[in-house]
Amino acid sequence: MIQGKSQKKSGLNIIIVGCGKVGMTLTRELVREGHDITIIDKNPQKIQSVTSLYDVMGLVGNGASYSIQMEAGIKNADLIVSVADSDELNILCCTIAKQVGHCATIARVRNPDYSKEVGYLQEKLGLTMIINPELETATEAARVLYLPTALEVNSFSHGQAEMTKFKIPEGNPLDGMEIAALNTYLSNKGKTVNFLICAVEREGQVHIPSGNFVMQKGDIVSYVASRKTAKTFMESIGFKTSRVKNCLIVGGGEVAYYLAKQLLHMGISVKIIESNNARCEELSILLPKAVIINGDGTNEETLREEGLDYVDSFVALTGIDEENILLTLHAQQVSGAKVITKIDRSNFKNVINKLDMGSVVYPSNITSEAIIAYVRAKKNSADSNNIETLYHMFDYRAEAIEFVVDEKSRLTGVPLMELKLKNDVLVAFINRNGNIILPSGKDCIEVGDKAMIVTTHTGFKNIVDILA
Amino acid sequence: MNRSMIRYILGCVVQIEGALLLLPCIVALIYQEREGIYYCIVAGAALLIGAIISHNKPKEQVIYLKEGCVTTALSWIMLSIVGCVPFILTGEIPAFADALFETISGFTTTGASILNDVEALSHCSLFWRSFTHWIGGMGVLVFLLAIIPLSGGSNINLMRAESPGPSVGKLVPKVKHTARILYAIYIGLTVLEIILLIAGSMPLFDVFCTAFGTAGTGGFGIKNDSFAGYSPYLQWVVAIFMILFGVNFNMYYFLLFRNVKKAFNMEEVRGYFIIIAAAVGVIFVDLCGTAVNAATALRDAVFQVASIITTTGFSSVDFNLWSQQCKVILVLLMFVGACAGSTGGGIKVSRFQVLLKTVGKELDSYIHPKSIKKIKMDGKPIEHEVVRAINVYFITFMILFASSVFLISFEGKDLVTNFTAVAATINNIGPGLEMVGPTSNFSVFGTFSKYVLMFDMIAGRLELFPLLILFYPPLWRDMLLKKTLKRKKLQ
Repeated sequence: MIQGKSQKKSGLNIIIVGCGKVGMTLTRELVREGHDITIIDKNPQKIQSVTSLYDVMGLVGNGASYSIQMEAGIKNADLIVSVADSDELNILCCTIAKQVGHCATIARVRNPDYSKEVGYLQEKLGLTMIINPELETATEAARVLYLPTALEVNSFSHGQAEMTKFKIPEGNPLDGMEIAALNTYLSNKGKTVNFLICAVEREGQVHIPSGNFVMQKGDIVSYVASRKTAKTFMESIGFKTSRVKNCLIVGGGEVAYYLAKQLLHMGISVKIIESNNARCEELSILLPKAVIINGDGTNEETLREEGLDYVDSFVALTGIDEENILLTLHAQQVSGAKVITKIDRSNFKNVINKLDMGSVVYPSNITSEAIIAYVRAKKNSADSNNIETLYHMFDYRAEAIEFVVDEKSRLTGVPLMELKLKNDVLVAFINRNGNIILPSGKDCIEVGDKAMIVTTHTGFKNIVDILA
Repeated sequence: MNRSMIRYILGCVVQIEGALLLLPCIVALIYQEREGIYYCIVAGAALLIGAIISHNKPKEQVIYLKEGCVTTALSWIMLSIVGCVPFILTGEIPAFADALFETISGFTTTGASILNDVEALSHCSLFWRSFTHWIGGMGVLVFLLAIIPLSGGSNINLMRAESPGPSVGKLVPKVKHTARILYAIYIGLTVLEIILLIAGSMPLFDVFCTAFGTAGTGGFGIKNDSFAGYSPYLQWVVAIFMILFGVNFNMYYFLLFRNVKKAFNMEEVRGYFIIIAAAVGVIFVDLCGTAVNAATALRDAVFQVASIITTTGFSSVDFNLWSQQCKVILVLLMFVGACAGSTGGGIKVSRFQVLLKTVGKELDSYIHPKSIKKIKMDGKPIEHEVVRAINVYFITFMILFASSVFLISFEGKDLVTNFTAVAATINNIGPGLEMVGPTSNFSVFGTFSKYVLMFDMIAGRLELFPLLILFYPPLWRDMLLKKTLKRKKLQ
C-alpha cells in the first residue's frame, strides 16, 4: 500500500535542474508521462509557481551542489536533466551527479565552444546525452528553408527519411481526392514516387487516414518519404520547391549563428540584423561570408532598407516571442517570403496557431522531445535505447516515433496485413540497412530494422505497443 | 471559480462518509442494536446523494488556492451535517444544535461533549462518535487525494487548505503518494496502539474507541469519567501514544525511509519534547506536594500534559482541582498545541518558535536598526511570506478568540468558564476549566453559544482562513461575477 516503498512504480525518478522555459516545458511533459519529478532552481518564486502548477517536488538551491543533490534524492534518481542557463553549471551538475548517484545525465549545452567537442565531453565526462536546442532549432529551420513550401520538416533515421507537413491550398489537385487515388494520379502524370501519407489535421482533429480518406483544401497533411523523393513529391502535386536563394534573419543569437552556418553551407546568402554592437562584431568574425547589419530589426524602415520586400525567406529569431510574431506578420504582409518564427515560451499556443504564420519552431519542444524519447526508451530496458527519434505532432495530439527493433517479438517476420494493430496506428516506413521502405501490407518488420510509427495514442514505449 | 470541481469533490466526500457510516452498522450488528438501522439508512442516503452530486467528473480539473479553501470548508460543514443525522434519528441526541455540536466536536477532533451521560449511548453511536475523530484527524480530503484519481498538480491546494501547519509540503513528488504515505503511517501507529491496549486487557470495544480518539487526538471518552477509571498501564500507553500522534509526521517518514539524522534534528520536535518535559516537571513537583504518591503524580502529570498539549482531551484526573499554577500551565499548553504536520490542534509549536524568533529579531533591530537577519528553522532560512503568514495567523486567532469569548459571555457565566470554553474548542482540545471542566460538559451553554463554539471548532481545525474566507464578501463577488459573464456570452 505504501507507494513510496513498492518496487513496481509506474514512472522514473527524475531530477530537473533549472526552472526556465525549457525546464517548465520539460516538467509539464514528463509529469504528463507520469514520472516523479523533483525540480531544483535558485529562485524561490519559480519553485513556488512550478509546484503550484504541477504535481512535482520543488527545491530551492544550487543544483550543482552535492548537498542539494543529496536532498533531492540523487541516490534514487534514474535521470538528472540539467537545463539551467549556464552551460558550465549544466555540465558540472551532471558530472557531480554521475559521481554521487548512478543515474543517467543529460545536459543542455549551447555555447559553440563546447558543442564542437560534444563527443569528447560525452565520452570523458560520462554524460548520457548533450542537447543543444539552438543547434536543433537551426537545423529544423534550415530543413524548412530547403523545402520552403513545407510547414515543417522532421527528420528520421539520421536524415534519411523525412516527414513533411504542408497545407493543401485552394485550387490544388489534392482537394477532393482520395488518398488511395493519389498514387494513380501521380503515375498518370508519369511520376512514381514512394511516399506515405501518415496524418491529416482538419479543424483541430487529427486523423490517421486509411486509403479512402478524402483530402480537402485547408487540411494539413503529413507525409513520409525518403529525403531524395520528398522534393519530387511536392513538385508533382503542384508545389514550388525551388530552394530559397537568400535569407534575412532578425536577431543575432546562437540560433542565428547555427542557422547562418548551415544556410551558407547550402549556398544561401544570409543577412543578419542584430542590435547589439559587440555581438555584431563577434558574428562578423564567426561568419565572414554573411552580411551583418547593426540595427534595430523591429524597425520597419530598417527592414525595408535591408530589402525585406525582395527577400526569399525571413526568419525571426529575436529573444522576445512577441516581437518575432509581429515581425513575421509584417513580413507576410509586405513580401511573399517564406517566413519562419521562433517561439520560446509555450503560452497562448491556440492564439499562435490561429494566426496562420506558417512555420513556427519551438526550441523548448525540441529539447523536451529529445529527452522524452530517451526517457521512454529507458523505461523499457536500462541500457538499450530503442527509440531513435520522437516527435510530438499537432500540439501533442499525435506522435511519430522511430523504434529500433532489436529483438524478436510477435511483430517480427509477420506481414503487416496479418498483424492486428491498434486503431489509429500507421507504420510509416521501415529502415532496413539504410533503405527506406514504405511498406505495403506484404512487407514485414525484421530484427535489426528501424520502424517509424505515427499514432494518436500517446505513451508507446516499444514497437510491440502497436499491437492490439 | 471552478464550481464544478468543488461540486465533484463535495460529492466524493459525501460518498466517502456514506461508506464510513457502514462501519457503525457492523458494530450495531455485533451488539444487536436497533439503532444500527438508522445508520444504514443514512449511509445509503449519503452514498446515493454523493453519487448523484459527483456524477459528472468535470473536464477542467485545475483548482487554485481559493477553490481548495472553499472546498475544504464546505466539505467539513457538509460532513458534520450528514454525520449528525444518525444521532437525531436514533433519538439519542434529539436537538439539532446538540447533535451538530457533538458531530463537529468529533470531526474536528475537539472532544467536547454536550452529553450528560455518555454511557447511555448505544455501542454503534459511541463507535461513530469516536470514529469521527479518526477520520477528522488526518483529514478527509487527504484521504480523498490518496484514493481518488485527480489529475493535475493543483490538488496540493486541497492538502494545503486542510493540513495543519505554517507551510504544507510534500514528502515525495506526487501528492497522491504523499497522502498515501501519511495515511499508512497513521494507520500503522493506530494499529500499534490497538495491539498494546489489547495487551493491557482492555475490552475490545473500548480499545477501538480509545485508539480512534488518540490517533485523531480527539478525546471523546466512552466512560463518564473519561479515562480516570482505566488501569495505570493503559493510561501510560495512551499518554505515550498521544505524544506520538502529536509529533510531526514528517519525522516518521524520515525515520522510516530516509535518514535518522534528519529526523532527530527537527527543531520543532525538539521544542515539543522540551515543553512537555518542562510542564511535566513543574506539575509533578507541585502534585507531589499534595496527597497523591509519586508514581500517581508522575502518571497524572504526564497524562494530562500530553492530553492538553496534543489537544486530545482525555482526562485521567479532575485537573480542575489542581493548584492555580498547574491550571495556568495547562491553559497555556492549550494554546501551544502540538507539532505541525500532526493530528493535533492549537497554534502549533513551530509557529511559536518562529514567533519567538521574530520577537528576538525585533529586539535586535532596536540595538542595530539597519541590521539584516534572516529567521532560520532547521538551518534553512524561512521565506518572508511564511513569517508574515504566521504573524497574521496569530493576530487573526486572537481576534477570533476575543470575539468568541465576548459573544458567549452574554449568557452570564464566569470568565474562566467562558475563556477556557473558547480555548478548548478553538484549539480542539475538549475539556476546559470550571463549568466546562473534565467532570462537566458543554450542555451548560445555550444554543447561540453552542453555534459560536461550533464555528470556533471548525475554524481551529482548518486553521482559520479556509473557514473565514467563506464569510468574506469579495469571494462571493468573485463567484457572482463569473456567472453574469457566462450569461452575457450566451446572449
